[in-house]
Amino acid sequence: MNEAMADTDRRPTPARGFWAEAWARYRRMPLAMAALVFVGCLGLVALLAPAIVGTKPVVCRYKGQIYFPCLAYYSRDLEPVIFSRDKFRGEYPKNLAAKDPESWAVWPLVFQDPYRAVRADEWPGRPANPARDQGRPSRWNLMGTNQNGVDVFAKMVHGTLVALLVGFVSMGIAATIGVTVGALAGYFGGWVDVIVSRITEVVMCIPTLVLILALLAIVEKPTIWKMMTVLGLTGWPGISRLMRAEFLRLKSAEFVTAARAVGAGPGRIILRHVLPNALAPVMVPITFGIAAAILTESGLSFLGFGQPPPSASWGSLLNDARSNLRMWWLVFFPGTAIFLTVLAFNLVGEGLQKATDPRLREARK
Amino acid sequence: MQAPRSTLLRLGCSAGMALWLASGCSPKPAEPPLKPEPVLTPPAAQATDAAAAESTEPAVEDPPSTPFEPPPLELLERDAKWIDRPVRDALADLAAELAKEPPLATSAEALALENDSAEANAAILSALGRLPAGGEADESARCNRHLAVDLNSTNPILISSAAESDVLGLTSFGLFSFDRRMEPFAAAETVSSWQTSVDSMLDKVVIRDDLRWSDGRPITAHDVAFSYRVIMDERVPVPAVRSGTDQLRGVHAYDDRTVVFFHREPFATNVWNINFPVIPRHVYENTWEDDPTLKDSPEHVELEARPVCGGPYEIVTRIRGQEIMLRAREGWHTVGDKQVRDKPFFHEIRFRILEDPNTALLALKKGEIDEMALTPEQWTTQTTGGDYYAKNTKATAPEWVSFHFAWNTKSPFFTDRRVRRAMSHAFDHERMLETICHGLYTPCTGVFHPTAWMATKKPLEAYRQDLDRAEALLDEAGWIDRDNDGLRDREIDGRSVPFEFTVVCSQQPMAQDICTLLQQSLDRIGVRVNVKPTEFTVLQQLLLEKRFDAAFGGWGTGTDPDTSENIWATGAGRNFGSYSNPEVDRLFVEGRTEVDRAQRAEKYARIHELLWEDQPYTWLYWRNSFYGFSKELRGYVFSPRGPFHYSPGFGSLWKPVP
Repeated sequence: MNEAMADTDRRPTPARGFWAEAWARYRRMPLAMAALVFVGCLGLVALLAPAIVGTKPVVCRYKGQIYFPCLAYYSRDLEPVIFSRDKFRGEYPKNLAAKDPESWAVWPLVFQDPYRAVRADEWPGRPANPARDQGRPSRWNLMGTNQNGVDVFAKMVHGTLVALLVGFVSMGIAATIGVTVGALAGYFGGWVDVIVSRITEVVMCIPTLVLILALLAIVEKPTIWKMMTVLGLTGWPGISRLMRAEFLRLKSAEFVTAARAVGAGPGRIILRHVLPNALAPVMVPITFGIAAAILTESGLSFLGFGQPPPSASWGSLLNDARSNLRMWWLVFFPGTAIFLTVLAFNLVGEGLQKATDPRLREARK
Repeated sequence: MQAPRSTLLRLGCSAGMALWLASGCSPKPAEPPLKPEPVLTPPAAQATDAAAAESTEPAVEDPPSTPFEPPPLELLERDAKWIDRPVRDALADLAAELAKEPPLATSAEALALENDSAEANAAILSALGRLPAGGEADESARCNRHLAVDLNSTNPILISSAAESDVLGLTSFGLFSFDRRMEPFAAAETVSSWQTSVDSMLDKVVIRDDLRWSDGRPITAHDVAFSYRVIMDERVPVPAVRSGTDQLRGVHAYDDRTVVFFHREPFATNVWNINFPVIPRHVYENTWEDDPTLKDSPEHVELEARPVCGGPYEIVTRIRGQEIMLRAREGWHTVGDKQVRDKPFFHEIRFRILEDPNTALLALKKGEIDEMALTPEQWTTQTTGGDYYAKNTKATAPEWVSFHFAWNTKSPFFTDRRVRRAMSHAFDHERMLETICHGLYTPCTGVFHPTAWMATKKPLEAYRQDLDRAEALLDEAGWIDRDNDGLRDREIDGRSVPFEFTVVCSQQPMAQDICTLLQQSLDRIGVRVNVKPTEFTVLQQLLLEKRFDAAFGGWGTGTDPDTSENIWATGAGRNFGSYSNPEVDRLFVEGRTEVDRAQRAEKYARIHELLWEDQPYTWLYWRNSFYGFSKELRGYVFSPRGPFHYSPGFGSLWKPVP
């Protein structure tokens, strides 16, 4: 028994993997951790936006059936048809009661809408949203309303989804392209490298903003998705160059030579041996890229070239504020949100850098 | 009795035509009108009387560029019977008119007022919209004006935007103008006599002999004929002022002072076709054919910077994108040592180019500019405090500029009149007027302003939101949700088409807000709308090529209802929605050939009613004029085209001696 215990004690503890070790180091950085928690909360807010604020019930029972009308905020096609057939005309609270007294519904925490002004008595006893410059923050409109009477809090909450989507989707596309292209160029070298590097240089020269403006003029239905695609398709050169450099360094490492010696093909070497070791430095530009994409989207919306109306984007609120700076709540809330989000992503990026870069680790010792 | 003052000519070229306005908010039609589209198209081919009229005169078929052979003057004098037409001093006439209206307040009282009620506005307009008594005006004053966009050119025949007509209207020379009732006349500053032949086919103008270009050379009838030749030449890219000149057979100068205009048709609207700016023959004669753009050759580039001017002001300096400086021209009012015309009220006019309305408002508050057009939001929320009234006051008046949704009647959605009516019923007009327009604009009931002479006398009721009516109309027209996807649909050519369309508009916030409101309104009755804010030039292109389902935009009024023919006649150039109603076509032709004003009014009133029934547009609102003025300025009088775009227009503004 004792011997057995001693035995287990003596057994060498398995070395923690690279990522586990990085995580452990990351956790020791309070600022980066706080930023990560903040980003996590943003993610939750984004996902649950329709349940936090909206004018459509999260779940309701109507004429013997259960429906989830709030899904319409994710996609208009998800709105149950029965409500338009029964002429609800977008107003649920009264119509539910009037057309089926048996019905019940679970409502979002705040009854407001990110796309339109709430009319008087839409919710019994609730006044119409104030419009023009009268919409300062109040108990009905937590962060005030814009000139058209649309609730700022509702726009902020639903805008979180837009901001995060833009960041993640565009950098997802950029990362996929960048990693693939960079890996191929770095591993194979030679003419592949020459071609890929030249293409990278060409793409780096494309002015993203101008391209997006041109695209918005051409396409029939400019959506946020097309914008993300453009951001993604033009955002990869930085990632690709880093990736290429990592591959150039690693492909002559001993473990790669060993893998090649035992007969592993290039596909296996790239995916199983080199890529996992090359990924860490790339995480950093991706994180910074997310912050940059969020800023770009806000900037475009601010200039009026963002998502087509009605949009719930932070930048579009700032755009509303442009015509009347005395409506401070149109500047303060979205401005703060953009600032904090971009800051959080940058802190996460910095934390990742510190946690994964061996040289920085050495320096700290 | 007031001394007659020099009138600043308001040229009819851009002033006479309807301007397409894509903005909902900039109260100045700052955008250029659609370029080469003539305002007056030739009568539609199927209109029989017009065709008959043309067939009697084969010479008419001559393309305008071929030289026109004018008959000798003796022959003209012998054959034609002439009727004298008005030659007026617009400023003196305005002074006489204003003198009849007792002021509602003294100017000191009016300047102390805040413009927060109709009474205050009336008092301000009445007290400050006055002309100076002798010696009251400061002749060395400088006026700092606001321009929302820079000029494309300083050559008056290339005018295409309101900004250009603002500046060049002061510097260029012309013969005709129109007053605040849109009555045309010949300007007494430049014309000695104007006569029209009894058959309305000829106009004879004798110009004054004391006119000088800014380089000292005399202005003659030959300059007028030469300008016509340049304007009518297809090689010269004249964007707007060619409008209507296609109705002319020719213009001929018989001597230095006599010029005769030969018309193709005896129309009541002929006067608007001879109202174009004049450029100096001696300057352009040898250069224009080598460089028909009038802008590219070295000589023309130099002229762009320092044009030879014929009007009361000349351009002294021009810094692109920043400012344009005008100075009153000695040679305009004094020839030799004799004063032949009165000096204009300002010695200098400085145009500041400020594109962003918020920047412009800051400049106005600081006293850097003396006037600007205000947006509804600025009017209601940013010009109400002491910081604004410290140096400025403001005034408003009705303006005949209306905004609408244009429905493309060739699109599968809007062929049926019932659907277009349903759209008008579904839109939330009250919310638009209250919130987006800040309660400042009045609902629009059709093409002509209710106070205009050509408007119908029948009271037309403005549409209000009535979703039940809208739904009933859509059901009736066959748009029903058959496939249970929440969207109405209809079978067209064996295919089920969902009712989902795109509305295009400019990128102005107000335009976007109104389109978004349409989207919200229609969303409630199972119609899906995509809003597509579009850059202005792209938007123009879409409209011209008729590649749209619905569009938000507006029209500034032309001077004559006939100018709207090319918006409504079948196949007309600016009939973006391809609207077609044979009766409307016929009435336009009748309206043009009819000379009696009352008879014409009836025709146009009928057009008004027909269009209202058909709802090819959902008419939204009349956009009134809202202007901020420095407290130093006096003499602003509003017309249906705003305070500046008529005669005397800006010419009646002055500053008192400090």
